[in-house]
Amino acid sequence: MMTKLASYEEKEGKKNENIGNFFRGDYVAIQVVKSLICATLTFVLIFAMYIFYDLDAFMTEIYKIDLFSYIKNILIFYIVTVVFYCALTYVFSTWRYFRVRKSLKLFSQNLKKLNAMYRERKN
Amino acid sequence: MTLLLEYREKIKRFYRMNSVVILPVLKFLVAFFALNGVNTLLGYMPRLDNIAIVLIASLACSFLPAGFLTLLCAVFSIAHLYAMSLEAMGVGLCVYLVLFLMLFRFAPKDSYVVILTPLLFSLKIPYVVPIVVGLIGNPVSAVSVACGVIVYYLLTMMVGCAPTIRTMNDFSEKLRYLIENLMENKSAIVVAASFAVTVVVVYVIRRMSVEYAWTIAMVAGAMVNLLILLVGNLIYDIDLSMIGAVLGSILAIVIAKVIEFFRFCVDYSRTEKVQFEDDEYYYYVKAVPKMNVAASTKTVKKINTNTQSGVSVGSAAAARSYAESRNTEKPGTVARTRTEAGYGREHVTPGTQRTQAGSQGTAARTAGRTGNSAAPRTGANMSSGGGSYGTTARSAAGRTVNPSGNRSTVQQRTRTNYSAQGAARNSQRAGDSEDDEEFF
Repeated sequence: MMTKLASYEEKEGKKNENIGNFFRGDYVAIQVVKSLICATLTFVLIFAMYIFYDLDAFMTEIYKIDLFSYIKNILIFYIVTVVFYCALTYVFSTWRYFRVRKSLKLFSQNLKKLNAMYRERKN
Repeated sequence: MTLLLEYREKIKRFYRMNSVVILPVLKFLVAFFALNGVNTLLGYMPRLDNIAIVLIASLACSFLPAGFLTLLCAVFSIAHLYAMSLEAMGVGLCVYLVLFLMLFRFAPKDSYVVILTPLLFSLKIPYVVPIVVGLIGNPVSAVSVACGVIVYYLLTMMVGCAPTIRTMNDFSEKLRYLIENLMENKSAIVVAASFAVTVVVVYVIRRMSVEYAWTIAMVAGAMVNLLILLVGNLIYDIDLSMIGAVLGSILAIVIAKVIEFFRFCVDYSRTEKVQFEDDEYYYYVKAVPKMNVAASTKTVKKINTNTQSGVSVGSAAAARSYAESRNTEKPGTVARTRTEAGYGREHVTPGTQRTQAGSQGTAARTAGRTGNSAAPRTGANMSSGGGSYGTTARSAAGRTVNPSGNRSTVQQRTRTNYSAQGAARNSQRAGDSEDDEEFF
């Protein structure tokens, strides 16, 4: 048991402890904010690729198109992408948080058992 | 089956004992093949396509975390794409960033999955990946598998585009050509989707509380994978060999069965269903025993020959010189004992029940007599072989001290020793677990 506990502490324990130190809301919020940043960066990258894909056509069309509706469409697309990705992150982070808490709880219980075993042997 | 289980235990024990060496060696090999694979597939930058650089980088990867190998592979491929064309590098970098930011951050631990997926694609056995990952991973690993598939198809797409790209001059023309090829690559989307779904299906089924869950999971996973590929092939008309997919899936199941043998070898015929309760819950438990065989172990036992009563210094010296002349081990060195339950009586030679106070051989022999075949592995059993050797030692001790006599006595002792070793070897060959003690 001691070997297993030590192995857990060495491998997953440290990371899990970092997650377990947060309240659920805080942890999930941090992850969602990270996802927001990542999704924004990704959107910018994909949009840049889209612009460069047909740069000449874009430069000639830019003076003819309705810029307001064009930006509105892009923003709607951006918001849909970000909301979808953040929702996914919310679900995943909540699942991960509960899994980590469960794992830490089990670790703590096993530590108590080990401690009890030592006491028994000592007595 | 017992033999296989015994080999499994030996392999596991060998791994446990040498994991400090085995893990870096495995990491080195994976890194070497991955980086070499990138160089072989792309190979546009001659400076990187150098075995010395690959070896140094692999050596570094063997001591660094798995994420470093992923980074190194990405850097190698981006460098090759840069040598091919700046636009190719831009597209490759964008795809890598999108994969990293959107997908890979969910499963950062699965670096090896991302590396091994393209590697197995190049070895023509990609169907192993989703089934094996579903068996030993978790559903989030589906993301890593999808990333690996996209990386492979991106690199092969770049290789396919290279001759045309080199003939082009215009920046936007090159970029358009690359992005068009990227977007039209339906194979990547179909295969990535099918692999991701397969990982989840295999994971869900193998976690079920049904008999032969792992086998059902791998077969169901292979079928789901083939079904999605077939539907994708019909809809998008992708260039996919269905015969190759079927054969690959069969091979994947075979490999998955080997992994099952090491990870989830259980005996469903001895399944027990128990019910119990505590203050808060009722428990309905289904217990499936693991198939285990206790592997034979070797212990080292030191026998102090100096305590033999009646043995003079002269005879010990003669024994030593004789042992050296016969290339045997010196007196007082360690005796190797192979221990296993159930052999205790077999090594005790008839007529060894005579007792001599103060003789270690006697103590060992007496202990050996107390062991029986059904007894667990104990010190008594371990020393049973010592009983027979003790007899020879005692016979040596009782003789008159003269050089010739000592010589003959020692010769007798050595012979007995050899015969005992021979018996032990024979019993080992026969599959018994018995002692193999070396005196001297």
